[in-house]
Amino acid sequence: MNQRIRRFAVVLIVLYVILFAQLNFIQVGQKSTLDADARNTRQTVRDFNDPRGDIRTSDGIVMATSVRNTAGSEFDWQRTYPEGDLYSAITGYFTFGYGATQIEKVQNDVLAGRTVEQQIKGFRSLFNGQDTTGTVETTIDANIQQAAKDALGNREGSVVVIEPATGAVKAMWSWPTYDTNLVAVQDSKLAGDIFNYLDEVPGKPLLANAYQERYMPGSTFKVITTAAALDDGLITRESTWADESEFLPPQTTDPIQNYGNKVCGGDLPEVFRRSCNTPFARTAIELGPEKMVAATKKFGIGETIPFDLPHSASSQFGDVDYFTQNLPLLGIGGFGQGNTQMVPLHMAMVAASIAHGGVMMKPYVIGTTYDHDGGVLQRTVPTVWKTPMSPATSTLLTELMVGVVNEGTAKCCMHLANGIQAAAKTGTAQLNAAGEPERSHAWIIAFAPAEAPKYAIVVMLKGTTAEISEGTGGTLAGPVAKKVLDVALAQ
Amino acid sequence: MTDTNNVIAARRRSTEFRLVLMAGIITAGAYTLASLGQNSVIPPRILPFLAVLLLVLMSAHIGVRWLAHGADSTLLPVATLLNGIGYVMIARLSERLAGLQTTWTFVGVAAFIAVLFVIQRVNDLSRYKWTFFFIGAGLLLLPMVPGLGFSSGGARIWVSIGPINFQPGEFAKIALALFFAGYLADNRELIAAGTWKVGRFYLPEPRHLLPLLAAWGFSVVVMVGQKDLGSSLLFFTLFIVMVWVATEKTSFLVIGLGLFVAGATAAYFMFDHVQTRVAIWLDPWSRYQGKGYQIAQAMYALGSGGVSGTGLGLGDPTRIPEAKNDFIFAAIGEELGLFGATAILIAFLLMIGAGLRTAMRTTRPFEKLLAVGLTTILGIQAFIIIGGVIRVVPLTGITLPFVSYGGSSLVANYVLLALLIRVSDSSARRLGEIPDAATFGERFAARLAQRRVKRHPEELEAMS
Repeated sequence: MNQRIRRFAVVLIVLYVILFAQLNFIQVGQKSTLDADARNTRQTVRDFNDPRGDIRTSDGIVMATSVRNTAGSEFDWQRTYPEGDLYSAITGYFTFGYGATQIEKVQNDVLAGRTVEQQIKGFRSLFNGQDTTGTVETTIDANIQQAAKDALGNREGSVVVIEPATGAVKAMWSWPTYDTNLVAVQDSKLAGDIFNYLDEVPGKPLLANAYQERYMPGSTFKVITTAAALDDGLITRESTWADESEFLPPQTTDPIQNYGNKVCGGDLPEVFRRSCNTPFARTAIELGPEKMVAATKKFGIGETIPFDLPHSASSQFGDVDYFTQNLPLLGIGGFGQGNTQMVPLHMAMVAASIAHGGVMMKPYVIGTTYDHDGGVLQRTVPTVWKTPMSPATSTLLTELMVGVVNEGTAKCCMHLANGIQAAAKTGTAQLNAAGEPERSHAWIIAFAPAEAPKYAIVVMLKGTTAEISEGTGGTLAGPVAKKVLDVALAQ
Repeated sequence: MTDTNNVIAARRRSTEFRLVLMAGIITAGAYTLASLGQNSVIPPRILPFLAVLLLVLMSAHIGVRWLAHGADSTLLPVATLLNGIGYVMIARLSERLAGLQTTWTFVGVAAFIAVLFVIQRVNDLSRYKWTFFFIGAGLLLLPMVPGLGFSSGGARIWVSIGPINFQPGEFAKIALALFFAGYLADNRELIAAGTWKVGRFYLPEPRHLLPLLAAWGFSVVVMVGQKDLGSSLLFFTLFIVMVWVATEKTSFLVIGLGLFVAGATAAYFMFDHVQTRVAIWLDPWSRYQGKGYQIAQAMYALGSGGVSGTGLGLGDPTRIPEAKNDFIFAAIGEELGLFGATAILIAFLLMIGAGLRTAMRTTRPFEKLLAVGLTTILGIQAFIIIGGVIRVVPLTGITLPFVSYGGSSLVANYVLLALLIRVSDSSARRLGEIPDAATFGERFAARLAQRRVKRHPEELEAMS
C-alpha cells in the first residue's frame, strides 16, 4: 500500500502547488488590475478613514485640508477646501467613488503618508499613534490668485501668472470653475449627481481650462513668428513693409486682410505695435513651411506641456506637408489664426521665455513636499524645457513689446502702478466667418518689469462678442492683466 | 508510567515542546501586531491572552508527552500554529466570536487529550467498524430530521439539541474514515481479487462492495438532501482514495473518477445552486451584485494584500462576507500577503506529510488506512476550501481545518489530530522505537485479574 500512499502524496503536493501558483497569479499578476477595478473601493475607503495632509500656497494659505468627522459618520475624515472654488483647478478633488484629480491625485502618496521615506520615518508612529501624512506646498501666491479671480470676474477665460526665471506658476485661474467642496461629499450618490450636472454646464467647469484646453491665439502668436524670422536672419529691426491693406498669397485668389481692411505698414517696431497682419503673413510664407514649423517646435508646440499636474494639453500649429499644400494657411497661421491653437499656460510660457533671455523653463506648481515633522521630502528644481530663441532676439522682442504698451495696441490699459514698465503683446482671435456676428478670443501676454522681469502673464477672454479690431485684445484683456500684475508687483 | 529515559521519545517530545512554544510566540506576536495595526495599542488583554495561550499549548503538549510520547513531533505544533493564526484573524474580525473561539479551543484540546486517554490501542477501534458506520450514517442524516436539523447559509447541515447547535457532519467524516479503514483492512484482498465473474470481467462480490457503495450513497444523499457540496466532495474523495490505497487497483480509481464525473454532471444539470456555483467560479465579475460578490471581494482582498500583505489589523477583511469562516483564507491573504498565505499552504503540506509518513511507517493495514483517511480529510478539505476561495475549483462551503471559526469543526479536527497522533505513537511502539509498555487500561485490567487470581486461584487452574 505504501507505493499508493507515495503516489497520493505526490497528487496532494501537485494540488497545493496549483494553489500556490494561483495565489501568485492573483496576488502578484492580477494585483494592479484588481486594485484598479472601479468596484473595488478598498483603497478609497482606507484613504477616507485615514488622515490626509494639507495642500497650501507658497504663502501658507491652506488650499485643502482634512478635518475629523464627528463620531458616527461613515468616514473618520472629511476633505475640505477652505477657499471654495479658488484653487479647484490646482488641488483637484479627492472623492469617494469618483477618484481624485490634480495634486490630490499626483501627490496622493505624500498626502496619505505612503512614500517610502514617510513610511520609514513614520515607523515610530506605530507606537505613539501619530500620523505620517505629508504636506504639499504649491508655488501659488494666494494674493495673485485672488487678484486673477477678481479681475476676470464672471467672464469666461483664463489667467496664468508664472515666474520667468523658474517656471513656477504663481496663479492659475479660469472661469467657469466649481466649488471642490461640492464633490468631496461623503454621499457618493449626491457627488455623482453634482458631477453629472457639472458635466452638462457649458464652459467645461470641471476642466482646468488654463492648461487643459487650447484656443486660437490671434496676434499674440506674432511673437513666435517674429522670433523665428529674427533668429533665421530673414528680418531685422530695420526691415520695413510697404503700406498695404491686403496681401494675396500664392495658391489662392482670396487675399489676406488687416483688421477692418486698414492700410498698415512700416518698420518692424511699427508693424509689431500696430499689430498689422500682412507683414507677419508675408514673413511666415517667406520663411517657408519647414523653418516655420521647426521654429514652433522650438517653442514646444505640438508637445504635451511638461506640467506637474495631470492631463495637460498640447498646443498646435500644423505640419510641413500640410502647409506646403496650403501656403495661404501658413500665412494666416503666422498671425495666429486658422488652425493655430495655443494652451493659455503655454502662451504664458512664451512670454516668460522672452522675459528670461530666450529660455523657456518647465512650468510647475508643486513646490516642496514635507513629511509630518516638516522635513523636506522633495523640492522641485527649476529646469529648462526649451530654448526657443537667441538672447539677442529676446532682447529685441522685449523692446518691441514695450512699444506695444507705450504706443501700440496695449497703450490703453497696460500702464502699471508706480510707473513700472510692462512689455506686452495683444491678440484678437477672430472666430466668426465673414458676415456672421463677430466673436473673438481676446488675449494679452505680458511681463513686468520689462528691464528685470519678475512675472509673466497670459489673460485670455473666451469668445467675447465685442467689435473686432486689432485693439480688441488689448482693451478687453489688458485691464485684467494690469490689475493682476499690479497686485503681484506691489508685494 | 512511560519510560522517560527513552532517547527517541525524549528527543521527539523536546522537539515538539520547542515547536509548540514557537507556535505560541508567533501567535502572541501576531495578536499584538493585529491590535497595534487596528487601534495602535498593545492589546489590553495581552496577559490573560498569554496565560490562556500557554495553558492550551502546554496542556496539549503534556497530554502527548504523557499519553503518546513516541508520536510524531510536528503534527501538534503545526495544528496549534494554524489554530493560533486563525484565532488572531477571528479576534481581529470580531471580539465576540474570539471569546467563543477561545471556548471552542479549550473544548477541542480537552477532546484531544480525552481521545488520547480513552483510545490507547488504536487497533482496537477496528472491531467497532460497524458501530462507526452507524454513528457516521446517523450523524450525517441527523440534520434532515425534522425538528432537529435546520439550514443556515443555504445548507441544511446544522442540528439543534437544547441550547447546543452543532454540525454533525464534522464528526461523521471521522466516523466514516474509521469505518472505511476497518472494513477495507478486513476485506481489501477480497475486494481486490474479484471473484464474481460477469461476462469476461471479474468483479468483487456484491456483498463486499455493498457497504462501500452504501457509504458512497451517503455522500450523494448529503449533496442532494443538505445542499452541502463541499462535504459531499470530501466524502467522495475519501472513499475513492481509501479504496484505491487499500486494493492497490487503479481500476477503482478510474471507476471512482468516472462516478465522480457522472455525479458532478448530473448534479450540474439537476440543481440550480450547482450551476450558480460553477458560473460564479468561471466569472464572478458579471454577477458582482449577486452571488459573485463574495468571491469578487475575496479577489480584491487578495490583490490588496499583494506579496507582503497590508499588515495585521491594517487591511479591510470585514468587507468579505463570511471572512471569519469559509473565507478566512482570503482575510489571511489580504493582511499577511502571499507570504502568509503560502505559509498556511506549507503548514497544511507539513501536516499532510506527517500524516502520510505515519501511514507509511505503520505495518497494520487498519492503522495505515486510518492514517491515510484522516490525512485525506485534512488535506483535501483544506484544498477544497482554499481552492474555492481563490477560484481553482468552484466554491463549496466548508471550513478551513483549525483556522476557520466554528466549534464543531475545531473540536472534530482536534479529535482527528488525536487519532493521527495515536496511530503515530502506536507505530513507534511496534517499530520498537519506544518500549511497548502496557497502557492504563491494560494495567488496570491486569491488576483486576491479579486480584481475582489471588482470591480465586481455582479459576486460573480451571483455565489452564
